Amino acid sequence: MRGIKFSFLCRSKPEPTGKRVAIVGAGPAGLTAAGYLVCKGHAVDIYDKMPEPGGLMLFVIPEFRIPIERVRLGAKELEEEFEVTYYPRTKVMEGSREDEGDEFYERTVRLSELREKYDAVLISTGIWNVRRIGIPGDDLDGIFSPLELLFWIKGHKMGYVPKEKVPELENKKVGIIGAGLTAVDVAFECNRLGAEVEIFYRRTIREAPAGAYEINLLRRRGVKWFELVTPKRVIGENGRVKAIELLRTRLGEPDESGRRRPIPIPGSEFQVELDYLVFAIGMVSTPPVNGGYLATDRRGRLIVDGRHMTNVEGIFAAGDVVNGPTKVGRAIKDGLYTAVSIDRWLRGEL
Amino acid sequence: MEREYLYLDYLTCIGCETCETVCGFIHDGNPYIRIYVTENKQYLPINCKHCDDAPCLRVCPTHAIYRDEEGAVRIAENKCIGCLVCLQVCPYGVPFYSLKVRAITKCDMCAERREEGLEPACSLMCPAEAIQYGPLEIVLELVRERRAKNIPEHQKEVTEEELAKSVSSGYIFL
Repeated sequence: MRGIKFSFLCRSKPEPTGKRVAIVGAGPAGLTAAGYLVCKGHAVDIYDKMPEPGGLMLFVIPEFRIPIERVRLGAKELEEEFEVTYYPRTKVMEGSREDEGDEFYERTVRLSELREKYDAVLISTGIWNVRRIGIPGDDLDGIFSPLELLFWIKGHKMGYVPKEKVPELENKKVGIIGAGLTAVDVAFECNRLGAEVEIFYRRTIREAPAGAYEINLLRRRGVKWFELVTPKRVIGENGRVKAIELLRTRLGEPDESGRRRPIPIPGSEFQVELDYLVFAIGMVSTPPVNGGYLATDRRGRLIVDGRHMTNVEGIFAAGDVVNGPTKVGRAIKDGLYTAVSIDRWLRGEL
Repeated sequence: MEREYLYLDYLTCIGCETCETVCGFIHDGNPYIRIYVTENKQYLPINCKHCDDAPCLRVCPTHAIYRDEEGAVRIAENKCIGCLVCLQVCPYGVPFYSLKVRAITKCDMCAERREEGLEPACSLMCPAEAIQYGPLEIVLELVRERRAKNIPEHQKEVTEEELAKSVSSGYIFL
């Protein structure tokens, strides 16, 4: 197997320009931008809070979709052939905030410090927080965030997570709320580990973001699919999840996303017993700022201009931290075009 | 020169759009590989398969379509009269007429990059390793090795013959 060739635009390292760029976040956007920038002769340092570069591609997306080696070898090639320096286990932050995967960082660096030390900074910190649902009982034991669950499973395989951290899923009943790609990935992994998986979705399979193909694959493997239901509360026993109370829904008029809005039907409550529950209802951008220094929108995403630059001159941003949850390819696209902007800006053309 | 193959394994593709992105990036925003999505959300990137027995090559009245040394089906833009017959016979609807170039354009297996000793960009960047490039035996081996990592439904044992047919004729093997 060969690694992803992030530096696909050139064969070898060109004459150095003497400019130094810091990239915060070694996911698809950051690594692709690094690949472009090294091909233009800039020196690149990459900071990431996780123990090795790769981001969600490496630590969260299941192996059957993106092989571990494919990402590892790609990141290694940047280091060996193009002298990219990685600073793993380093969280870059201005202010503070708790995100998923925080247990791995050992050092913190301030973003403003990087801005002073480097000619340009690119932020590609992605979406390392999970949207909370806000219903009674959503903080009980046995409720996992999809990121941590997927991360424990894959991280254990990679040797970063001890066995006892991975929940024993065999013959356990796992409920998953949501029908996006994350929900489907959680379902695949839990099913593989022997759990009885049930997916609950408030619309129908036709509206499910993951699509009928993926969901039907899961159904053929024994995963139960419940549609037109929405969670009302989580029922616990001794502080642990025991069941979920759901409401049936019907579809009303289309909402701003163009999909028909689910309307809960009053009095239709029913309960499903569960051992574990996962709310996979969306992820939230995690910029290296919290409220100050860089401008963010009301969903916490970094705001950039036509040059992909934030409100601080010389600090650029790309990927999911700007766009919210998208696909790997969209993050790569944003990383690539942002790198073009950075290169032009460093040359004084922008 | 040895015949090179560019093979897209639909059982491994995750529909992430990376191929379309990088192809568009090196072709001024006009990707030669495009992702089509079916009603049930299966993602199918479609590009020229560089078929061994290419109907476009046979039908072109001005012989503007030829096969280069490494096996890529290419267009000689100066010979193309824009009759679109190639588009009509292509099983994948791949060729399209570019008003800018004033000729048919399509995937040329990254001809310019190959001249510089670089491989096709889509294959290099695909995170899932669904696009393999190289001589047939190597492609076959890589597809098998990669498919072994898939979920059981997508592992699907294929014989060498079947895969060879799929790779070299462009017949999509699902």
